[in-house]
Amino acid sequence: METTIQQQQARGGPDQAEPALAMEAVRKTFRTAQGPLEAVAGIDLRVGAGEIVAFLGPNGAGKTTSIDMMLGLAVPTSGRVSVFGKDPREAVAAGEVSAVLQTGGLLRDLTVRETVTAIAALHGAKDRVDAVMERTDISGLAKRKVSKCSGGEQQRLKFALALLPDPRLLVLDEPTAGMDVSARHAFWDTMRADALEGRTVLFATHYLEEAQDFAERTVLIGAGKVLADGPTAKLREMTGGRVVSATLPEGRPVAAAVAELELLERVASVRLSGRRVHVTGPDSDAAARLLLGPLGATDLEIAAPTLDAAFMELTGAAS
Amino acid sequence: MNPTYVRIELARQSRDIGNLMFTVGLPAVMYLLFGNMFGGGSAQAGSGNVKFYIMVSMAAYGAAVATTGIAGTAAAENMLGWGRQIALTPMKPSGFIQSKVAVALTIAAAAAGVVFIVGAATGAQADSWSVWVLSYAIAVAGSAVFALYGMGVGMSFKSETAINVAGGVLVFFAFFGNVFLPLSGTMLEIARFTPMYGFVGLARWPLLEGAVATPGATADSFWWLVANLVGWALIFMALALWAMRRTRSRQ
Ligand SMILES: Nc1ncnc2c1ncn2[C@@H]1O[C@H](COP(=O)(O)OP(=O)(O)O)[C@@H](O)[C@H]1O
Ligand SMILES: [Mg+2]
Repeated sequence: METTIQQQQARGGPDQAEPALAMEAVRKTFRTAQGPLEAVAGIDLRVGAGEIVAFLGPNGAGKTTSIDMMLGLAVPTSGRVSVFGKDPREAVAAGEVSAVLQTGGLLRDLTVRETVTAIAALHGAKDRVDAVMERTDISGLAKRKVSKCSGGEQQRLKFALALLPDPRLLVLDEPTAGMDVSARHAFWDTMRADALEGRTVLFATHYLEEAQDFAERTVLIGAGKVLADGPTAKLREMTGGRVVSATLPEGRPVAAAVAELELLERVASVRLSGRRVHVTGPDSDAAARLLLGPLGATDLEIAAPTLDAAFMELTGAAS
Repeated sequence: MNPTYVRIELARQSRDIGNLMFTVGLPAVMYLLFGNMFGGGSAQAGSGNVKFYIMVSMAAYGAAVATTGIAGTAAAENMLGWGRQIALTPMKPSGFIQSKVAVALTIAAAAAGVVFIVGAATGAQADSWSVWVLSYAIAVAGSAVFALYGMGVGMSFKSETAINVAGGVLVFFAFFGNVFLPLSGTMLEIARFTPMYGFVGLARWPLLEGAVATPGATADSFWWLVANLVGWALIFMALALWAMRRTRSRQ
């Protein structure tokens, strides 16, 4: 008996391995003039060491608020957050977690090199300045004032600051927001090269494409809750598949048609506007067959939902 | 406190030439105005002359203006999210405050230094060198209290104008702190509790040893002046720490 337990611990099976990040029933309520606002409404999340996770959700979903709690910048109203088994503030002080924050965070009248040096000094990592600037491709900007840097360049600078402590967990809050397509690709190319060093990466985004290109696992977040969590490859299913719309024929009861559609397997929702019906679900073929066949509908269209539409569906905001 | 951080911060502050000239130059100009406004600048005052009295007063005021202004930039920095960036490093809020105070003191030392040099050149006199050295040291060191004040006020009111307000209120503190013109009667009794009273009283200690410039007014005890300075230092420190913690969350 004793030997087996020891063996398991030595191997460090999944149960023993300490997660890079653990959130348990985390909630955060803000007091606002309009009354309390629950920005994070009970999030449970475990991210294992070495995982690359996308935190995908529309604006206002609660991504930044969650990230602030992972970094100890905000304290949860209730629930527990730990980073490598520690309190987030301790993990930050130990340089185990670092982040590219969504808004601001730079002094406009410092040069790029001064900015990196100042933050490096606080981490006791001045010897990493050159390497990090090289890696994030900002060596050429060293003498430039931050205020004269483009959005993409500032973002690379913030990325450099995040790499200074050589963190085991790197958190990126919409790192490419406001960049054009080529800047975005360049940024992710740099990231990709870096992340291969075995860091754990969690990044927030509202671009489906970013999650698909970069993350192995995607956590869908909406209205402060985890809506779905799984391999990015299964994202289509998570977002509720496709929308089939068609016009129902005149002279037949619409309610009966809707009821029949709702009986189909794996249909997430059926919505009606006038005689036009919208069926959402992963199995578009079955809905299409039923609509064109027995129901006699016309003008059939099948569309992949936009991310926003998918979220509305998942959060029930549309119904 | 982190020396590299302080060095970079100093370089940054000194690039704002306009502001720096104003901060460092204005107290000297005020000394020249006040010092020549009254006749009898060379009359005896304690262990020096009246010009020395005015010189110390203006140096102390100038140092406080400098520390308030420089420390107040912490508020603008926090509005840009720099405080959140700093919060991702091992530096604690108290470390950030110490670094800011160190930068503010360096500039305050320059401002007070210019007043003393101009004073020496225009007839301020004291009986011994130690009066010069001690007065200067106290004026600079004591101004640290107003760095806490500037930081606390700037960060409590989340706006760019907050720091201008803090500067304006400082003029008020100086007036009621018996810094500019000697107060008397009830005004003087109230003044003994205001934030600049202990500070300027201590800066003048080597010269006056607690005596008040107003004829017939009772002298201050050394411990009263220290209690005033320390009391206000604690209040401003608490305000700065509270405001600093608060601005870590998003604006
Ligand atoms: N400091 C705050 N005070 C009040 N409400 C806030 C605050 N920060 C965020 N919120 C609200 O919380 C919700 C979630 O915001 P956020 O976490 O920024 O979402 P996301 O990053 O996914 O866009 C939003 O409705 C936002 O307005
Ligand atoms: Mg956000």
